[in-house]
Parts: sequence; C-alpha cells; structure tokens
Amino acid sequence: MKQQAFQTNSIAESVVAFGQYVRSHGLNVGIQETQDALRCLKEGLISDKNSFRYALKTIFCTTPEERELFEKLFLRYWDTNPVDMQEKKNKTSVQGSFNKKASASLVMLGFGKTAAPEDEGRNVSGANETERLKRTDLSKLNEMDAALLEEIAMKLFMQMALRLRRRMKEDRNKGQISLRRTIRRSIGYGGEPIELFRRAQKPKKQRLIVLLDVSGSMDKYSYLLLRFIYALRTYFRQLEAFVFSTSLIRITKALQPNQLDVVLATISEQADNWSSGTRIGECFAAFNNKYGKLLLNGSPSILILSDGLDTGDPALLEREMIKMHKRARKIIWMNPLKGMKGYAPEARGMKAALPAIDDFRSAHNLESLLDLENILANA
Amino acid sequence: MQTLNSPSEIVEALEKHQYVADEEFATALFLLLKLQKPLLLEGPPGVGKTEIALVLSQLLETRLIRLQCYEGLDINAAVYEWNYQKQLLGIKLQEGTNLSVEEKEHHIFSHEYLLMRPLLQSIMEESKAPVLLIDEIDRSDEEFEAFLLELLSVFQITIPELGTIKAKYKPYVILTSNRTRELSDALKRRCLYHWIDYPDLEKEMLIVKKRLPGIEQLLLQQIVRHVQDFRQRKLEKTPGVSETIDWAESLMALGYRDMNAKAFVQTLGTVLKSVDDINQVKKDFVAPL
Repeated sequence: MKQQAFQTNSIAESVVAFGQYVRSHGLNVGIQETQDALRCLKEGLISDKNSFRYALKTIFCTTPEERELFEKLFLRYWDTNPVDMQEKKNKTSVQGSFNKKASASLVMLGFGKTAAPEDEGRNVSGANETERLKRTDLSKLNEMDAALLEEIAMKLFMQMALRLRRRMKEDRNKGQISLRRTIRRSIGYGGEPIELFRRAQKPKKQRLIVLLDVSGSMDKYSYLLLRFIYALRTYFRQLEAFVFSTSLIRITKALQPNQLDVVLATISEQADNWSSGTRIGECFAAFNNKYGKLLLNGSPSILILSDGLDTGDPALLEREMIKMHKRARKIIWMNPLKGMKGYAPEARGMKAALPAIDDFRSAHNLESLLDLENILANA
Repeated sequence: MQTLNSPSEIVEALEKHQYVADEEFATALFLLLKLQKPLLLEGPPGVGKTEIALVLSQLLETRLIRLQCYEGLDINAAVYEWNYQKQLLGIKLQEGTNLSVEEKEHHIFSHEYLLMRPLLQSIMEESKAPVLLIDEIDRSDEEFEAFLLELLSVFQITIPELGTIKAKYKPYVILTSNRTRELSDALKRRCLYHWIDYPDLEKEMLIVKKRLPGIEQLLLQQIVRHVQDFRQRKLEKTPGVSETIDWAESLMALGYRDMNAKAFVQTLGTVLKSVDDINQVKKDFVAPL
C-alpha cells in the first residue's frame, strides 16, 4: 500500500491512496467516500489546501474523535517529505492487536491464585450441579467451577435477554384497534367509527446506563458481571456501560461478542484500575460532568454494580448520587456483599449512597443476577 | 440570489444573512450543495445547528421543511397518514353514485385524502429543491433511523396504495444531533459530517455584533468574556451562543451600557438556566464586580 502522497503518480491516485491510508488507521472510509472525495476535485476544491482538507474531513469523518485523528493523518500523508522517510520503511500499520491470552482473564481475577487441586474430574454436570452453582457465592468458586459457571451463566443470561425481548414484542401487539371503545364512541356519530381507539400504548423502551465497579474488592465478581452487562445489551436498545475504580472508562463501544477479552485486557493494562482503592464519588462526579448532560436525558434507568467500599469522600458520593437520581428514572444498586449473612450497608460509601437508591439488591450469585429480569421488565 | 460557487462565497452570503461561519463549515455546506448528500451536524446545544438550515433556505430562496424528532416518532407523524375521517365521509358521499368498487377505492386513496408529513412534503416539492431539516435525530428511535436510510439514499417514498413517489428535486438535507446517543454507522456513512463547537471569543463577539448591531463595544466584550468563562466551569447547563445573544439583548433592553453587579444579577437568568448554576456563578462573580 502506498503510504504517502509522494509515492503516487497522479492526484486522483493519491486521493484514492489517501482513502486507503486513513482506512488503515481506523476511519470508516469506503468506496462511496472515496468517490465523493474525487467529486470534490472536480468541483475545484483542490485549488486551496485548506478547503481541500476541510472537504475531505467532512466526507471521511463521523465523530469529533475521528476529526482529530484525521488532522494528524492528513499532515502525515500529504506533507511527508521523502527524505525523512528512510528509517521508517519497515514499520507496519499503527493498529495494534491485543495478544489474547487464553483464559488469562480468570487468572487475573484471582481464581488462578488458588492452585487448583485436581482431585476429581467434574466434567459431567447435571441439573443439580447447575442449581448448586447458581446459588454459589461467586467469590467462593474454585477454578473448575468457575469455568463451568461461566458456561452456564452465558446460557442463562442469553435466555434472560431473549425472554425480555419477547415480552416487549407481545406488549407491542396490544396497540391494535380497540373495537369495543371504537364502536361505543361511534354511536354518537350515527354508527360511523370516526375516532379510532387503540388498546394499549407502546411500552416505552428503556434506556439503561450501567456502572460497573472493577476495583480490587470486586475482583471475583467483575468478570461475570461484565458478561452480564453484555447479555443485557441485547435487550436494551440504548445501553451505555462504564467501568470505574479510580477513574471512569466508557466501554459501550467495546461491548461486542468477540471483544470482551479485549475489554478485560485493556482494563487490566491500566494496573491502577484492577485491585486498588476505589474512589466511587470521584468517578460518579466524572460521569455526571462528562456524560451526565448527554446520557441522563429522558430519564434512563441506572444500574450500579459495586460493593460500595469507597476510599474517597462519602459526602461527595452522596452529592453525586443525588444529582444522578434527579435525572434518572430509577437507580438500582447491586451489591455482591449484600448476599452475605448479616450484611448491613455500614461501609461509609454505601451508607452515603443509600438515600438516593431506589432498589438495593444483592449480586453475589447467578440467581440474584437473573432476578433482575423481573425488575427490568416491569420498570 | 447570488452564486455559491466556492466556500468563500458561501461565507460571504451567510454573513449577509447574519450568520457567521468559518471556512471549514462553509466547505461542508458547499459539499452539501454540490454533492447533494445529507449533512450531519453535531455539537453542543445552542451553537446554531438549527439556525443554519433556516439561513440556508433563505439564502437559496427556497422552502424550509422541518421535522422535529422525538422518542416514539413514527412513520405516521413523519411521512404520511391517510385522513381516515375524511375517507369515511368520502365513502358516505359516494354511496348514492354508480361508481364501481374499484373506482371508489381509487378515489378514497387519492392525494386528496393523504395527510402529508414533513418527509413526504420534502420530496414532493414541485418547483425547487427545499431544505429539509431533521432536527435532533438522536432522540428518535433506531427503527426510524433505519427508515431514513432509504429516504436519504434514493429520495423516494413508497405508499402501498399509491405507489412509489420519487423526488423531482432532491432536497438539501441537514440533520442535527446532540449526541445523546451514537447514531448508526449506516446512517453516518450516507452523510457528510461536521462538528460545530462553541465559538472562540472573537468569533462569538462577531456573532453577537451581527445580531445586535447597536450594542456598545464595552458591553459586548464583557458579556462574551463572561459567557466564555462560564463555559469553562462545570455547570449543569452550559450556555450556548443563543443564550449569549439573549443576554446581550436583555441587557440592552434594560438600558445598560456596561456590566455592573446589579445588571449581572438581574439578567443572569437569561444565560444560566439552573438554580445551582446561578448560585455558583453569583458567589464567584458578583463579589469581584
């Protein structure tokens, strides 16, 4: 592939090659866009460098982030002098690929630390096994069970998502004409059904925002919860997901079937995220400031998955929770610790957040997660 | 109407209509006109996304057709709907005539009984390409977005009872979005894209000056400085350019020639729209003034 403008022979060719060049750097540029770019040449926009740049930018970019990237690529492509290029020859494209470590995620999550005694090969799992695992606290699993549980969980999560979708469809059919009311009303018009009545309004589609705690204390739960969020995504048309511990990261875009490992790898690369003190208040403040105005529109539901062990200022957390609560339809907080016998929300952070929570639930085993189905369906 | 054969001519023409645009934005508009592709505008609220559609329609001396999107917007409200009540009346009126069933059916499913909504209107324009503004597309549902795909690529609408209607003049489409959600890639690929950000100090002063030619230079500078300062803060609602203009207008209406503490407090409500914001700003600003 031609990497710079000077390697091409005609202006049309360099525009086409530029299209390829930006595509290799992650911009979504196809044949259509390249064609449009060539049409720009015809319109005479090439005469001025700036308007040429602006025109290509308008055609090639679709987000503010891409626009920033484009500026860099444009310079690199059109302004590179052949003389500076000698040593860069054998560098390939910038797009790095994550080297996937098979089942490394589990090790990272602390499952691997307990050297698994391979006493009995528990390969066969009957119905009872499933039931047992569903109720087992996620933090008390051994490695063998963890793999099995992951499999079961994935299956159950998907079933849950499917049930939720079906429920929506059935409701939607209720929007048919209500003959009874229509005929009743038509009497006043001499038997002509002038006004039509519908039986039920379409249920409002929910928007859900998920905030997942990935700090050290949540280690053993985070991985499964992330899977859980992924399953939810298939039901909600608008699901925004974030992970937080000391800082907040938006992972909405990464929630794709083959990318869960990448998400985990990315998060774990930022070592201060996994296994370190949580500053929930600050993360929520960051959420409110950066995304609040955009996402907390039209009162979505918010689902927070965290143990509430906060090392920050509880007053800040309380303030931010109230802010969120004002603009959300409902805040559901799922706390894995709540499943423990004798647990009371005594931790400073949890106590501070409690007044702004509509539904406080446990999330320590599979069953408790699956319970969420009913809440979401009726919300 | 003047000629619009280059981005710089568009800048000039827009200026005559009191709209300040930079070269980059003008290039995007130029492409909208030349390539006849829809233009997707994104940016914070109140930076003139909607306004540009209005100005463009004035510039081209054509009609502006506006579709405001909202959650639950459906085909009935956006494209067309049969006037059911009128159809019933039509059937009643035909009862005495000797028309065949086919003729009757043909009659009640004719244009006369069609309620045209904005999208259908935009492609049925007879004399000149209109400007079609699809406002806040991010608020609509994904189904509607998918429906738009057909319209935006081939500019035709199919009504089962009437057949396919093809646009005689392709409308100039401007879509706006506040990014409350990410739009689908398919839609984005059919559009040109431009991001409008808050203007810098000089540009914003220019904009206000254009709108309010009678404003005192000192007052103008003070107002715009303050607004630029507000935007740096973590406010619940960041003021846009339209708020700046409102503020300047109300200060002028009250007869102030420069900013003082009284004027500031009196009119703060025109630029900040939340109690918390107002209190926060009052605390920091009024004391030094």
